[in-house]
Amino acid sequence: MKALLATVISLGLTTVVIGNAYYQKKQFYPSIVYLTNSNPSMAVMYLQAFILVLLVGKLLRKIFFGQLRPAEFEHLIERSWYAITETCLAFTVFRDDFNPKFIALFTLLLFLKAFHWLAEDRVDYMERSPVIGLLFHVRILTLLMLLAHADFYFIHHAYQFTAVKGPSVQLVFGFEYSILIIMIVNILIKYVLHAIDSRWEAPWESKAAVLLYTELAINFLKVLLYIGFVAVMVRIYTLPLFAFRPMYETMRSFKKAYNDVVLSRRAIRNMNTLYPDATPAELAAADNECIICREEMHTGAKKLPCNHIFHAACLRLWFQRQQTCPTCRLNVLRAPAPEAAAGAPGPAAPAPPLAGLAPHAAPAPPPPGPVPPPFPNMPPPPPMMAWGMPPPPPPRPASLANLTTAELQRMEGNERRNIEARLQLLREIQAMLDASVLLMQQYSTVVANLPQNNVTVSTQTETRIEELTKESPSTTQGKSEPDVVPTTSSYKQPSPVPSTSKTIVTEDTSPMQPDTTTPVDTNRDKTDVDAADELRRRRLQKFALDK
Amino acid sequence: MAGSALRRLMAEYKQLTINPPEGIIAGPINEENFFEWEALITGPEGTCFEGGIFPAKLHFPPDYPLSPPKMEFTCEMFHPNIYADGRVCISILHAPGDDPMGYESSAERWSPVQSVEKILLSVVSMLAEPNDESGANVDAAKMWREDREQFNKIAEKLVRKTLSLE
Repeated sequence: MKALLATVISLGLTTVVIGNAYYQKKQFYPSIVYLTNSNPSMAVMYLQAFILVLLVGKLLRKIFFGQLRPAEFEHLIERSWYAITETCLAFTVFRDDFNPKFIALFTLLLFLKAFHWLAEDRVDYMERSPVIGLLFHVRILTLLMLLAHADFYFIHHAYQFTAVKGPSVQLVFGFEYSILIIMIVNILIKYVLHAIDSRWEAPWESKAAVLLYTELAINFLKVLLYIGFVAVMVRIYTLPLFAFRPMYETMRSFKKAYNDVVLSRRAIRNMNTLYPDATPAELAAADNECIICREEMHTGAKKLPCNHIFHAACLRLWFQRQQTCPTCRLNVLRAPAPEAAAGAPGPAAPAPPLAGLAPHAAPAPPPPGPVPPPFPNMPPPPPMMAWGMPPPPPPRPASLANLTTAELQRMEGNERRNIEARLQLLREIQAMLDASVLLMQQYSTVVANLPQNNVTVSTQTETRIEELTKESPSTTQGKSEPDVVPTTSSYKQPSPVPSTSKTIVTEDTSPMQPDTTTPVDTNRDKTDVDAADELRRRRLQKFALDK
Repeated sequence: MAGSALRRLMAEYKQLTINPPEGIIAGPINEENFFEWEALITGPEGTCFEGGIFPAKLHFPPDYPLSPPKMEFTCEMFHPNIYADGRVCISILHAPGDDPMGYESSAERWSPVQSVEKILLSVVSMLAEPNDESGANVDAAKMWREDREQFNKIAEKLVRKTLSLE
């Protein structure tokens, strides 16, 4: 409505101005001279020209795009404002050349740019549009051809002009149209890719990769052009401020494209090396739907260490963003490679190194002959250790410890690996059995060497301690609250069960634990034991008094 | 074959149409454009939003489901987790990495496993149980904490508004 009003007003003004000139001068040439000499008349004429350009733009837009989507329109307006600002900045550099022709050329440039943007948006929209008719293809192809011709013509013109008359504002035009022609190439590639993709029934998996590399190459070309342009401008004129914002944006998108390529390559490498293909059985066991695209998985599915299965193509796209499992958010880069022998649980339960160790037996299969002696490198365990704590886990044969993680990863997915892992586990079981035999032997020798009388003394003290522990809770019972249960349980089991009177418990438990007072007590002196006994009795009396 | 985002949105639309969750209606505004949806959410029972029917819009990015959609209520809302302009602020709508409120762990962020249905169900539970630590609407969060009666009154008024009773 507003546009119509502006058009009508402008048309009316122009008619009035021209009519007035003709009315005053009565002849063609004098009226033209009058018009060009009168500033207000010229202003009206310029306004009319501007509005005519807009109208032509609208017409062309109708022809090539039909109705613009709101998003496209917003995009267009936003980019136009930037372009207009930059054009104004460019005027400051070339103020010597400032004339109507110059303005007309810049307007034309803006005009063509706007169509490039719209074409780009439209082609991007192809991928998201459910139906693409023949009209769309005809429109886009015609438009791209026309725009490419226009770009070529202006580049050629700028080149000729610069070659004949030396550097001028045509440098800027030549450069701007070169950028536009690169844009056309980019749009055309995207168009062809989308068009091919829309013909195929099956998803085209390598399309994303092709798009990614196209993006990288195009951005690289643009960055080169911008750098060249800025260098030339700095040498001939001055710093081209108006080119800085687009240059910065191009560099940023180049960096982004580069990062995307790097991340995508890493994701592909990880998928190929780390994660096995899902077997049909696994696909059937899961509900056979890729949770990323919600479509069925037939081939090309990958299994992550967390056993979640996805399309390889979907995973690759997601891994460009984030290296986690979409379902459980397991960090796939940090997680260990999928366990070698998922079916064969390790003998030593807390054995994280086992998963890593198992595959690297692959290059050197274990000798079929007799198993090597259990502890080649380990010194005989010190005697005290045998009683105090469980036996240390036996060290693995040293020959297996010198493989890198990369080598381990390479073996993932290897069928043979599972068998190797099992053999390895068996060897370890044998080693541990040998270790326990050794321990038993040491144990029996120690027991056999003990003096007979010491053992009897220790058993006597143990019985006494047990008697005492039966007394001690009863003495504390009066003191404790009635709702405290643990005191009763400490009758039968004089272990450090929480009791209200902590002093007694802590003092009593330290020497008392009859189950574990194995030969340690036998080393003690009899007098020591008596003294401790005495001390305890005194304390008990003291507590009785306290009460 | 159309783009993967489009195919997935079509699949979700089909799923939501065949098997709609209770109290939620959602679908593309226009079947030419599957990247703009509208949804109607019924206020959860037993809460101050009970009985209301709240319209909302969902905008899907071109790389959906790798990036989350944006959601905004198109009616007037007063809720700790809804900005004054209607935008919904819940953690599953935030891509891992951007954290406008600085309190969300990445475990509750967007991932392709989420779907329109899960988003809308989360919004329903958000209506029932506001998270007053994320101050998308600080006034509402403060009122929710300190003056629950007043909050309930405002909510009931909004409910009546959505039903065009006021």
